[in-house]
Amino acid sequence: MFPRYGPEISDAIISFDPETLERRPVSKQKLIRRFNLLGNRTAARIIEQIPARDDLLDPAAVDRLLIAAHYELQRMSEEFQHGQRVAEILRPLLLVLRQGGVRPPIRIVDIGCGTGFIVRWLAAHRTLGPDLELVGADYNVALVEEARRLAAAEGLPCAFVVANAFQLAEPASIYLSMGILHHFRGRHLVRLFAQHNREGTCAFVHFDFQASVLAPFGSWLFHAARMRQPLARHDGVLSAVRAHKSRDLLEAARAGAPDFVSAVYGTRLWGLPIPRALHALVGVRPVYREGFVRALGRRAALLGSIQ
Amino acid sequence: MIPFLLWALATLDTAFAGYREAAGRSALIEKRAYYRRAMLRGAIFGQMAAAAAGAFIGAFYLISSDPARLLNDLHRAGWRMLCVYLPYAGVTLAAFLVRLVPSVDLRSLTSVLVFGPFTLIRPAVAIAGGIWAVAAAPRAEVLFLVLLVLALMLSSERIIGKLRGRVL
Repeated sequence: MFPRYGPEISDAIISFDPETLERRPVSKQKLIRRFNLLGNRTAARIIEQIPARDDLLDPAAVDRLLIAAHYELQRMSEEFQHGQRVAEILRPLLLVLRQGGVRPPIRIVDIGCGTGFIVRWLAAHRTLGPDLELVGADYNVALVEEARRLAAAEGLPCAFVVANAFQLAEPASIYLSMGILHHFRGRHLVRLFAQHNREGTCAFVHFDFQASVLAPFGSWLFHAARMRQPLARHDGVLSAVRAHKSRDLLEAARAGAPDFVSAVYGTRLWGLPIPRALHALVGVRPVYREGFVRALGRRAALLGSIQ
Repeated sequence: MIPFLLWALATLDTAFAGYREAAGRSALIEKRAYYRRAMLRGAIFGQMAAAAAGAFIGAFYLISSDPARLLNDLHRAGWRMLCVYLPYAGVTLAAFLVRLVPSVDLRSLTSVLVFGPFTLIRPAVAIAGGIWAVAAAPRAEVLFLVLLVLALMLSSERIIGKLRGRVL
């Protein structure tokens, strides 16, 4: 019923040089063989449908597919109030950063922003204050261009760049992401956190699916009900299957970014033994720890042990 | 009362079908007007569907040798449909009321417990209502109307999608 093994199709059909960010060709047959070897026939069938020329996946077709999948992902994010969830954590974080004397503008960078839903949502709702610089970063030119187009269409004060979020000239005050952590495994996850150690970076907030027994079924149900794109359905379910446990995320964050104290936020619903679909890994510089917990108010109960 | 309730449910169902059809096709942040148009498009399709069903009922009435019995059978079938569709609609509308509470978790819960699963079971609920209706009054006219209603219900999103950008 559920795909059991990675990678996700959206990761496999596109490839970038990590240094130059230049797009690399992807062999369709090689990819189909790879998924067949993994026993993932659904993924192989989906890739068979993508147009190719001389066995290389057509970049324009891949971009169209990814944009369509991101549109559907946004629909899901809207339904599950993801913008509000992010704002709920950013509000106390920003309060403590302002009180701590961080000079404006406070720079929030969304890592792997895709079509930039979160950045655009925050820009559109303007509830977090006027002293913010909202930036989305992604490797994919087509997704970034779409994010820019959408932001321009609504006149939103935010920017999108084709870049590695950790190699921007100006580091982020807060790094943010949604649904990227499960793409990184083992030492790659630790290395991702290690990159947060930049001067000027005060905090990070990474949302992702929470691993639980129910997560794959719940994710399947929603993706079956809401998604039209087979790719979006496949990857959405696989994301829940591959979600990291809170414990593993914390270990990786503490190993990779020892200059931050970190905790997982919002694992349980109303303190009951009901797992939330999404949880957030939050890290702050130790100097902001107490202020952050205080600023969370009654929501501090949702925060695990921050150390 | 039964025809009115069936018409109201058809309007509601197709309006939401319009919403579902439009969802995931616009990535703008402010989409209230977009969704209003989508729901209106769906509701207009609902009126067309209701008019088609009404026209057939009128035709059957005119050519029937026993119009009173026909109406009685249609009422019984309609009542059976309401018995299945009204609770479904009631739960959905109740979930919308809960969603008015400004709580991220509560709103998400309505999606997890109601909107998501109910979207998946909608075709099964539609068919169950149809079978239950035909069982109450097993005659050709009722079977024809139930099949017509089911065909329109189950293909509503596809048809509304075709209407989008063309007619409505």
